[in-house]
Amino acid sequence: MRWRIIDYSENDAYMNMAIDEAISESIVKGAPPTIRFYGWKPSAVSIGYFQSLEHEVDIKHCADLGMDIVRRRTGGGAVYHDHQGEITYSVIGKEDLFPKDIIASYRLICGWIIDSLGLLGIKAEFKPINDIAVGEKKISGNAQTRRGGVLLQHGTILHSVDVDTMFSVLKVSDEKIKDKMIATVKERVTSVSQQKVISRDELYGALLSGFTKGKDFGLGTITDEERNRALELVEKRYLTKEWNAMR
Amino acid sequence: MRCEEKVKGGKLVCIEIVPKDGKAAKVRITGDFFLHPEDSINALEQSLEGVDLTSGEDEIAARLKKALGQAQLIGASPEDLARIFKRASS
Repeated sequence: MRWRIIDYSENDAYMNMAIDEAISESIVKGAPPTIRFYGWKPSAVSIGYFQSLEHEVDIKHCADLGMDIVRRRTGGGAVYHDHQGEITYSVIGKEDLFPKDIIASYRLICGWIIDSLGLLGIKAEFKPINDIAVGEKKISGNAQTRRGGVLLQHGTILHSVDVDTMFSVLKVSDEKIKDKMIATVKERVTSVSQQKVISRDELYGALLSGFTKGKDFGLGTITDEERNRALELVEKRYLTKEWNAMR
Repeated sequence: MRCEEKVKGGKLVCIEIVPKDGKAAKVRITGDFFLHPEDSINALEQSLEGVDLTSGEDEIAARLKKALGQAQLIGASPEDLARIFKRASS
């Protein structure tokens, strides 16, 4: 099985989610399994499929900061995607390429991230359900969906973390305040640059190595058909209030 | 009526109920859990609509399990949802 690797590119939040979905659709039609790396420009907030937009996000503050807000097709939590602070990936392929057990498939793909961090001398481990941690501190969050026989997992690897901005755009529930959330998150979240003096480019190089290790792969691009479909999905889904505010 | 709870494992689940004549007329389940396939959330919510607000947790959990069928709820359990439903409705 030959994998298609799509080099890092930056898009707005709507296009990023639309490209992941367009690739998923093309894989149903026979396109090769694909690993894509991307960034968010402008910075953005994504929320999980089941989350309430108004409960999770300070919509006005995001607008004031010029940030996009988008609902993902995947479950999980709200994420602040700092333009400079992280690298996001997606892994998309037919379900039969991956373990049937969902946690096992998270473990497999997260293992590629752990291998990548290992190349940088950072010892990380998988924390079920969907996190990767260095010690007790989270460094990567991941989310997966399986639709139409295709598995999509995307996630972020933190290069640097701006907890203050994160909590200015994400709302904090009473339950979370009980956990002394903000102070706790500063203690419970880490980033590659907090572990070692490593540039974002070095992190990306390690991710490319870790994700492709042992795979037959070729560097590819998004096809014109995928890009056109993504542009259509931006208009029909990811930019609409019906989608983003459906919960 | 609304209740949210961080369940065992750390996921947050929130249930909102619009009551009418002692029953749950409308139910909304939100949170950072996972559910495969995702569309099953509609069946879970609908299974609780029309439920008497005095129903016991066991009955509510049984309804949720039936609605869940082969779908996989990850990061929360039907029992968690039933408990949160009861807390929201009390």
